[in-house]
Amino acid sequence: MKVGIVGLGTMGTTHAASYQRIADCELVAVADIQLERCKTVAERYGVRSYASLGEMLASETLDVVDVCLPTHLHREHVEMAAAAGKHVFCEKPLARNRQEGEAMVEACRKAGVTLGIGHVVRFFPEYRRAKEIIESGQLGKVGTVYTYRGGGGFPMAWQDWYANYQWSGGLTLDMIIHDFDFLRWTLGEVKRVYAKSTFGRAYNRLEHVLVSLRFESGAIANVEGSWLDIGGFGTKFEFACEKGLLTYNSKDATSFRSYQQRTGLESVQGVAVPESVVDKDPYTQELEHFVGCLKRGEEPLISGDGALGAVDIAMAALESIKTGNPVTLSSERG
Amino acid sequence: MKLGIMSFAHMHAYSYGDVIRQLSGVELVGVADLDQERGKQAADQLGTTYYSSYEELLKTKIDGVIITAANRDHRELTEMAAAAGKHILCEKPIATTLEDARAMEKVTREAGVKFQMAFPCRYIPAVHRLKAQYDSGSLGRLLAIRSTNHGRMPGGFFIDPEAAGGGAVIDHTVHLVDLVRWVFQTEFREVYCEMDRSFHDIPTEDCGLLTLELANGAFMTLDPSWSRPDCFYTWGDLYMQVVGTEMVTEVDMMRQSLERISFDRPNYQWEFWGANSDYYLVKEFVESFREDREPSITAQDGIRALEVALGAYESARTGRPVKIGLA
Repeated sequence: MKVGIVGLGTMGTTHAASYQRIADCELVAVADIQLERCKTVAERYGVRSYASLGEMLASETLDVVDVCLPTHLHREHVEMAAAAGKHVFCEKPLARNRQEGEAMVEACRKAGVTLGIGHVVRFFPEYRRAKEIIESGQLGKVGTVYTYRGGGGFPMAWQDWYANYQWSGGLTLDMIIHDFDFLRWTLGEVKRVYAKSTFGRAYNRLEHVLVSLRFESGAIANVEGSWLDIGGFGTKFEFACEKGLLTYNSKDATSFRSYQQRTGLESVQGVAVPESVVDKDPYTQELEHFVGCLKRGEEPLISGDGALGAVDIAMAALESIKTGNPVTLSSERG
Repeated sequence: MKLGIMSFAHMHAYSYGDVIRQLSGVELVGVADLDQERGKQAADQLGTTYYSSYEELLKTKIDGVIITAANRDHRELTEMAAAAGKHILCEKPIATTLEDARAMEKVTREAGVKFQMAFPCRYIPAVHRLKAQYDSGSLGRLLAIRSTNHGRMPGGFFIDPEAAGGGAVIDHTVHLVDLVRWVFQTEFREVYCEMDRSFHDIPTEDCGLLTLELANGAFMTLDPSWSRPDCFYTWGDLYMQVVGTEMVTEVDMMRQSLERISFDRPNYQWEFWGANSDYYLVKEFVESFREDREPSITAQDGIRALEVALGAYESARTGRPVKIGLA
């Protein structure tokens, strides 16, 4: 399998490294509008670099295009790759809204290519383990759920695109969509959404979101996301069930900690360098799964259709934030 | 100063009884409970006299009473105590209806007795630190709060919708609502609530999630669920994560605990070593009538908190956000 990546931000460079660890899969080219960045990555892995997806498609023979661009550019690039007959792996969120997402799914279907979406939380072992336990029924019916993601400050990137709500959809669409997807995967469909955000109430880099989700199963979830600095990036969850609790806090549940020492007189405090120490990182697993599905001709765990369900929840939350009213999701969707 | 306790329906009565014995110059003269067995046992435990009727207790030379009856009975007992000229420390929530709560405020004001709400969380030292942080401006403008007040399912009158006025939502909403009103000097404007009965086979709801708008422009979520298993290592939690423009601060009361792991059951327990907020609550009550001043937590505070809890029930019934009170 020959892969080309378009977009070399944080996730594109992460994927580039991951492909090196996947058997029978070769990263052959990268494309990014920022030429210096593109050359650096290309040289690191000995692959060719291009200024755009169009150029890359014209010169390379690829099986897969991996789209790691800002959200508002997903549709255009996914459709271009599909039209060229390439399988597409697209970073989450699928799209800026359902309409765009449906168009992308349809374009891939028409072209007969497979579309996979980077809801990588489904490959985090702590989240997978939680899903297994909940689904086993050992803890009984799920009553209330809490999830948290963030605390690492506001993300800085190309053209400051995260700060453009029209481009990124803010914290709700860009980040806590991970939790929307995971919860939907674990608990089933969401019936009702109510949400509040600091967006419009404060400087927009201080975004903090609290979402109330009501599932068809009856479960009530409180999803929290933050682009504020709360002692570094972290994730948490709690499932309160009939027969017990299941909790996780990434700050506690780590097998490895190291502290960078500062020698200057200005400070005596250490700075935490968190690391996730697992046998195979979730990003590599996610891509390995996708590539494996292509070889076996199987539908990936997170197809475009599946990812639409998470986009629906995020869009409902954004609507609720705007109107101050609860939003009911139609159960036929997704 | 002499005090009496009216009813042991609410388990906080035992803690109040304990702290009365720790306060100098304060004496627990007696306890009254219509449940003879429970009343006698409590009197023995606290080393005081049992009275089988409230009237008998109110005839003694006590200065004040602590009312720890079922929520629905707060009004009747308040009216009896006020008529007898006794000062009142009333367990939360103030009542099960606004009509009852307003009547309690009126009758105590007209009788010239002090009326204080039992919101002991105002005496948690970490809450004082939060208030100081906010008052000094170092927290900045308040943007958002995520809060939880989880507990075990308490049983007793708490799960009788008539006697309690509801379940977990009325039981646990009022503490955090009062804290936020007091710390940030603001009111609640609107409440949205999802609630259900998911953990226990009881007549009331046992879980929920409130999403609230504050008059100062901030928002908040509050989880009041009885979601802790019976074997949980402490009674529950009282937690707030406060997001300001300059700072994010967490208050996690029960974290001031030792972890005890033993061969015997319960195998794992938290041993709380933080301040006893009930002590300061009862002390404030006694001082209010000793110094003849308004208690720091008034009937109005009880009414405001009840309005939010009742709004949550209305929201759950209608599926809409509900506007609250005067704000």
